[in-house]
Amino acid sequence: MSQTDTAIRKSKSSQRLYALTWRLPIIVWQVLFFVGPLLFLIAMSFFLVKNYRMHEAFEMVNWQKMFSRDYFRDSYFFTLGLAIGATVLCSVIAFPAAFALSFKVSANTRRWALFFLIIPFFTSYLVRTFSWYVILAESGVVNSLLQFIGLGPFTMLNTVFGTMVGYLTLTLPLVIVLQTFSMSQIDKSYIEAAYNLGCGRIRTITSVIIPLAKTGLVIGAVFCFILAFGDFVSPYYLGGSKPPTLSILIIDTTKSGQQWPRAAVVAIVMMLTLFTVAFASIAYAYRKRQR
Amino acid sequence: MSDTLVEFRQVVKRFDDFVAVKSLNLSIAEGEFVALMGPSGCGKTTTLRMLAGLEKPTSGEIILNGRVMNDVSASERDTPMVWQSLALFPFLNARENVEFGLKMKGVDAPERRKRAIHWLERLDMGEFIERPVNQLSGGQRQRVALARSLVIEPKILLLDEPLSALDAHLVIRMQGVLSKLQKELGITFVYVTHSQSEAFAMADRVVIMGNGDVAQVGTSREIYRSPANKFVAQFVGRNNILGGSVSSIDGDLALFDTECGQFALRIPEGKTFQLGQLINISIAADRLRLQQHSDSAPKNKPMDTGTNQVDCTLISEEFVGAVVTLFFETKDGTELMVQVQERELDQLKVSQDTLYTLSWAADSAHLLSD
Repeated sequence: MSQTDTAIRKSKSSQRLYALTWRLPIIVWQVLFFVGPLLFLIAMSFFLVKNYRMHEAFEMVNWQKMFSRDYFRDSYFFTLGLAIGATVLCSVIAFPAAFALSFKVSANTRRWALFFLIIPFFTSYLVRTFSWYVILAESGVVNSLLQFIGLGPFTMLNTVFGTMVGYLTLTLPLVIVLQTFSMSQIDKSYIEAAYNLGCGRIRTITSVIIPLAKTGLVIGAVFCFILAFGDFVSPYYLGGSKPPTLSILIIDTTKSGQQWPRAAVVAIVMMLTLFTVAFASIAYAYRKRQR
Repeated sequence: MSDTLVEFRQVVKRFDDFVAVKSLNLSIAEGEFVALMGPSGCGKTTTLRMLAGLEKPTSGEIILNGRVMNDVSASERDTPMVWQSLALFPFLNARENVEFGLKMKGVDAPERRKRAIHWLERLDMGEFIERPVNQLSGGQRQRVALARSLVIEPKILLLDEPLSALDAHLVIRMQGVLSKLQKELGITFVYVTHSQSEAFAMADRVVIMGNGDVAQVGTSREIYRSPANKFVAQFVGRNNILGGSVSSIDGDLALFDTECGQFALRIPEGKTFQLGQLINISIAADRLRLQQHSDSAPKNKPMDTGTNQVDCTLISEEFVGAVVTLFFETKDGTELMVQVQERELDQLKVSQDTLYTLSWAADSAHLLSD
């Protein structure tokens, strides 16, 4: 082997080392604070609790117990239903707003609108949730206004409606921002080409704009699903935790009898669900046409 | 063939303060291949977009097939267009793209499929019917875009610089495809371009636009050999433009003084000149004859022989294949260009240290209108 070959090999390995050095912090962080706890969570789901104390073990009993309980299954499907409902509702409500911001306003107006959509994130989600109390309560703002025209009062707190309001508070601004980003990048000539080929305005939205913005729309929906599925604040404070969602179930389980292992089972099931939904959706969003 | 299909009547288009098209009057016959040509910002694309209904005229009328189109929406016009970017839908494959227009018209699926495949095959795209458009080459995408527009069997096809993104050799091929297609189909093509070679090679009639106005309408040959005015002569290029005042008139020859000498011009039929009148002429670069200056040669009097002469030196040259353009400068600084065949150049052995004489016949100069 010549000297140059050795030199090139050396420089290549030093390049690899250089790249690794830059990646190292994030790798260490992920191993310490994500992979580690995750493995511990999985291990913990096989532990046993005796006299309110956790013992290391490898027993299937927690999994068997949780899967044989009706309340776990009911809670799972209720949470799934709520999250899907929130995703559909949020995507549908966000779309007209994002459409208007993408095609009907100037670039400057769009920038300001996106800025104002980010402002809600400046305050704590919990604070925003509590402020709905004032608005949705029996003697709140909405019912007072409805009273003027002789309606109500309606019970909005501690209902599924309340939960949905909370979910949308959390997700709507984000989904509008994501949808706007994807739609405002559509080349106008596609839309003109659609008109040119005899496609009316409404049909252009369904036949051209939505397919072109698919990736952004799906990613917006995935974020909405993830946030709603794992949220604890809205179903607890606005939905009255009746029936409990999986996140509330985790808290209840840990509180009652220190059943951390069973809570771990719930957490793992939630994570598997989110992983499946997110993976399938992203694969769908980025699917290349191969035929 | 000679029935009018499209008519622009005093069409004006204003964008805020900017006037894109100033009072355009133009009629286009059925089956005609018309090229709208001009520098960028001349209003040619706006004109095409108004015809497609993608822009609304500020005033005036656009008549298509006997119907005033001003208030007809783009989607109801049947004026398919081929975009510069092609604008093929990336989420559809070649066939689905071609079917799009038929689907919008409510043609049923088997019929759509049949017609789309027929058009793709006609444009030599038979192998690529089910290919996603992002896996096609530039030339192939071009053909899909053409098929997508033609499948609805329009009376008119609009093309907005469709070849400008292609490689030079593909441009020539696609020019052939377009010309042939237009002749076979017998439909009207309105073709917007800034490229002379595209316009001159394909169009029956070329409309030269500048600053929102029509500068000249004519066949390729008319525009190339007899540019109407200075703007056209300059835009078409390879024209030497000389301005001067008429100093004497003898029969059908007029003598005029310019900064680089006195020249003769054959007075065009029906024109009369007054002494002192300012005129501009253009002489195509390939109409100038180049020879080495020699003191012994008799000095020509343009009035006697009808031949003009001017001495000058070489400043630069430009090779485009077999044709070479040489740039000269006269004593007073007027620049003149001459086009010669590359093999003639070998015999002349041009160099920058030699004095040359350029000559041209009085009737090869062309009078410009301004």
